[in-house]
Amino acid sequence: MPTAETWIFRILVLGFVAAFVAQVTTRARLAMRARNNIAIDDGETGRRLLRVLTEVVFQSRTIRERPLVGFAHLGVYWGFVAFAGYTAVQFLAGLGIVDLTGTSAFRIYAIALVPFSLAVAVGMAGLMTRRVLVRPKALGDTLSVESVIIGGFILTLMITFLLEFRLDHGVAARVNWWVHAIVILSFMVLIPGSKHFHLVLSPLTIYLRSSELGTVPNLDFERDQVGLEALKDVERKQVLDAFTCVECGRCQVNCPANATGKLLNPKRLVLQTEDALLAGTLETKLADIFDPGILWQCTTCGACEAQCPVGIEHLPLIIGARRGLVSNGEAPDALGAVYNHLERRGNIWGLGADQRQKFVQAAGLEIFDADRHDYLMWLGCAGAFEADFQKALRSLFGILRSCGVTFGVLAKERCTGDVAKRTGNEYQFQELARANIEDFRAARVTRILTSCPHCLRTLGVDYQAFGFQAEVVHSSVLVDGLTRGMLVDGHEAVTLHDPCYLGRYAGVTAEPRDLLARFGAQVREPARSGDNPFCCGAGGGLLFEEHEEGKRISQERFEQLQATGARTVVTACPFCSIMLKGAQASANAPVEFVDLMTFVDGRMKRSGRQAEGVS
Amino acid sequence: MILVIAEQQDGVLNRATWETIAAAQQAGGPVTVAVLGADTAAAAAELAAADVAGVVRVDHEALRVYTLDGFVGSLAALVAAEQPAHVFLPHTYRTRDFAPALAVRCGAPLVTDCVGTKAQDGQLLFVRPVFQGRLLADVAVGGQAFVTFQIGAVRADSVVRGAVPAPVRTAAAGVDAAGIRQQPEAPFREAKQAVDLTQAERIVAVGRGIKGQEQIALAQQLASAIDAELGASRPICDAGWLPMDRQIGSSGQTVAPKVYIALGISGAIQHLVGMKGARTIVAVNKDPEAPIFEIADYGIVGDLFEIVPALIKELQG
Amino acid sequence: MKIAVCIKQVPTRDWQPRVNDQKTWVRDQDAGFELNEPDAYALEEGLRLKEQHGGEVVVCSAGPARVAQALREALARGADRAIHVMDDALATADAFAVSEALAAAMREEQFDLVLTGLQSDDQGFAQTGPILAELLGFASATIIMHVDVQPGGLRVKRELEGGWFQWVALPLPALLTVQSGINQLRYATLKGIMAAKKKEIRKVTPPAGVALRQRIVNLYAPVKSKQTQMIGGSAGEAAKTLVAKLRDEARVLS
Repeated sequence: MPTAETWIFRILVLGFVAAFVAQVTTRARLAMRARNNIAIDDGETGRRLLRVLTEVVFQSRTIRERPLVGFAHLGVYWGFVAFAGYTAVQFLAGLGIVDLTGTSAFRIYAIALVPFSLAVAVGMAGLMTRRVLVRPKALGDTLSVESVIIGGFILTLMITFLLEFRLDHGVAARVNWWVHAIVILSFMVLIPGSKHFHLVLSPLTIYLRSSELGTVPNLDFERDQVGLEALKDVERKQVLDAFTCVECGRCQVNCPANATGKLLNPKRLVLQTEDALLAGTLETKLADIFDPGILWQCTTCGACEAQCPVGIEHLPLIIGARRGLVSNGEAPDALGAVYNHLERRGNIWGLGADQRQKFVQAAGLEIFDADRHDYLMWLGCAGAFEADFQKALRSLFGILRSCGVTFGVLAKERCTGDVAKRTGNEYQFQELARANIEDFRAARVTRILTSCPHCLRTLGVDYQAFGFQAEVVHSSVLVDGLTRGMLVDGHEAVTLHDPCYLGRYAGVTAEPRDLLARFGAQVREPARSGDNPFCCGAGGGLLFEEHEEGKRISQERFEQLQATGARTVVTACPFCSIMLKGAQASANAPVEFVDLMTFVDGRMKRSGRQAEGVS
Repeated sequence: MILVIAEQQDGVLNRATWETIAAAQQAGGPVTVAVLGADTAAAAAELAAADVAGVVRVDHEALRVYTLDGFVGSLAALVAAEQPAHVFLPHTYRTRDFAPALAVRCGAPLVTDCVGTKAQDGQLLFVRPVFQGRLLADVAVGGQAFVTFQIGAVRADSVVRGAVPAPVRTAAAGVDAAGIRQQPEAPFREAKQAVDLTQAERIVAVGRGIKGQEQIALAQQLASAIDAELGASRPICDAGWLPMDRQIGSSGQTVAPKVYIALGISGAIQHLVGMKGARTIVAVNKDPEAPIFEIADYGIVGDLFEIVPALIKELQG
Repeated sequence: MKIAVCIKQVPTRDWQPRVNDQKTWVRDQDAGFELNEPDAYALEEGLRLKEQHGGEVVVCSAGPARVAQALREALARGADRAIHVMDDALATADAFAVSEALAAAMREEQFDLVLTGLQSDDQGFAQTGPILAELLGFASATIIMHVDVQPGGLRVKRELEGGWFQWVALPLPALLTVQSGINQLRYATLKGIMAAKKKEIRKVTPPAGVALRQRIVNLYAPVKSKQTQMIGGSAGEAAKTLVAKLRDEARVLS
């Protein structure tokens, strides 16, 4: 016969669960009414599950870069999971359904949980100290009272759990049990409305995250899609992202714009979206939620997305909002000029094709012939018009020729559309892409070689959306493969600036380093490198914006590179080179820039070595 | 007979008028020069020094200040009276304003922006550039034509002077003053509050090769010698050696002067796109591989601290 | 205000023209075409005037079927409708013939204001606008930097030689040729492109019997081409050579 106590508990549980479900339903409704942009039938299920294993179960992203915090969180998380059974049994007993608390199995289980509870308690204590006393910037300027309360709850739960061993029967024991139960119920009811919703949502958002960094699917013009204009346009994944955000601030502290005094803050964008969604006014224009000026400060470096431990994709939100602005004619003037250049001349600077032709002739380049050439050499806008990068390309041509790799160029090139895509001019991007793909198909192109990481990404990944599949490779990767057997002595100190679109987007970090080591260089890593470099400031259309708030991103990065003490900076992207040289010119510092290909070519020539042939 | 329409303002003849007279003389046959205004006596006397058949003065108060309607009406009447084989004009801003309507009024074609004439099979052909000067076209007309000549195409000093002054006569103005629809105000120069390089016809630009703020004075001297504006590449403005409104670059100011002299500028692409529209580009740089030489019309590889003083001396001497 | 903007479709600026066999025109079958850039500034000015004063912008052009593409580009930027005078011959005709054809199509529309660019990138006559004004009987002014609308007319800023300017008042209806670079050209937005698909392009045939008043009898490349002339010698010698070339060859110094 259920006691009064049981009935009270039943009613309480019903009430709390109803409150929980109501909040979850609101959020689920917001997600389900949003347009579905989740594409998980791409054959990547295996990789997704693996990702859930490493990032959810083993907390790889929380531990990376913040090991202490990460392990503390790991302890808390595993503790939670371990306690699930315990909580279930206690609630079943409290609800009068079945009481397994007396069984020996349960008692063994409870004892086994003690180390977990200590891990949780210690972990929580550490995290709370960090939050309340250390106050890191990433967690925001104001102390989150809700986080402190939740922290208090968790500690209370551990204390009440441990006290159970001490208090067997009597009023104290009942009170302890009730405190534990009420705290759990209160915690549960706070979950949906707080950052702790990630407990429920993050495995899902991590699973659903796109396979490639910065995936922003094509707009479907047949369906009159123009980008994100109002809150109601925000798509399903981004709605889920808004609710899953744990406010850890990794995106914020890794953002190059934020680090140089600009107002752009990826964390804030996500949280503003969340607040706006919950406020319910879906007709609100995004331009009224986040200042458009801030949107144009993003270089699309991807550091935010790459760092996020709960699978948030910031770039579709930022670029989606940019699309909404651009579709309505509200792109910044500098970009408007670039769009006109792209429309008229098919390149970002509006220069004439005869200038590219001059380089093609001067460098002795052949026109691509699928029957004779191993690769289509894609010059890109910089390759066609920018003199310094053309020097780097000549080095590459020298290496290829000495290694017996045959290549040709297209008679005419037009921009891949990278700038149009990242700044939200989707129409122009699709026009350029379709035209380029037609040319590729006509020329039977299957392998493309490029020295520009932006072209690499656009041709190799973004063009797949049009059904174009080709092997697109960056020169560093190809040349690394070609020179495997070589070795040149030397210990020249250099520093390497990993381009965002190469190191982070494409994951190419080993090959440039292997090349440098192989050819007698000793790499002194700058503060941020490898797959988490600090952007040079050119991406996302910012190459064309001469005015910058705060400190110039390029200057910040240049100082980081200078701080390594190396006199030579090795670059592998034409735009990084332009930005960093510009920063150097302003700073008047005695640092030399060399493209990776020029470095390798120079060392190869000096040592008189030849590669062993085409791989 | 070829009728040349002279251009004068406040009694001062436009230099291009002499170029047009030379072109008419070179085309062959007698040349008559007409000048419009309110009191053209002095201008007419000046014109009479050329080796021409005669000078015609068209004076009227309504022609003191140039208006499209006034000039078209008056010249249409003159052309009807004089019945020239062709009418030559200089391709000035003013001519571009009224010549098309005038030609229509007279029922004749207008061939604009010519760089010369040639005789072929007994007819006079007019040579004009097309496709931005990439090609030249020889144009034939069937009868009377109005022809404008590109400024500087014919050298003013190739005008043949007459042994004796040419006869000067007056002609009826034929102006319908009441029918003039345009009401012009006095011409003015813009007050130089802000520097607007986009309007500059001549620019001398400095880059990192100038080495220091004090040396910019040298570039300024060159600029003054050719009545040019001073511009700079980004590092100069970033360093604060020149204000931002002198920066020439991709999103800064894009300029299209007639002549652009780049001193110590390497020609990085951000700068290049800002000045590639210049008609004539001169580059002075120590580095023979500097990209600026790719787009320059004239290049000097050398020390600008030697070249520039030599240039200034040559220009002033 | 009922505004017309006359535009021309020309081969892209970086296309290398090759002369046809008769040497009377170029072989443009392989050329790409675009909206004449000076006309783009006229269109931008027209759109701004509409945004400020209301009314409609009608974009007009004469030429073969391919001209419709340039009209669509103009519609995508905000023009309301278009008039296309269809005739293959008009692509190579002189300014007078083109103006006659345009005038016939535009007369009954009774525009308040007609805007054109200064000149076209191919033929470069710089006449079509002023001839059109004369044929329509409109007051006109050329090389305009700025347009102010006043009761009964306009007050416009003309550019003169050597950094001089002049304000001129004239009544409506009027025709203005617009100087390049006076405004920032807007780009074609996605919404504009979508909307343009539904906008009207009225096709008109030109009047018969317009004779050409001038024709090209020979077309050829000029003797000198654009090559960088490197000037050597001592500083003094180089300076002397350069100044002489700037004076006599490039003719940029007086």
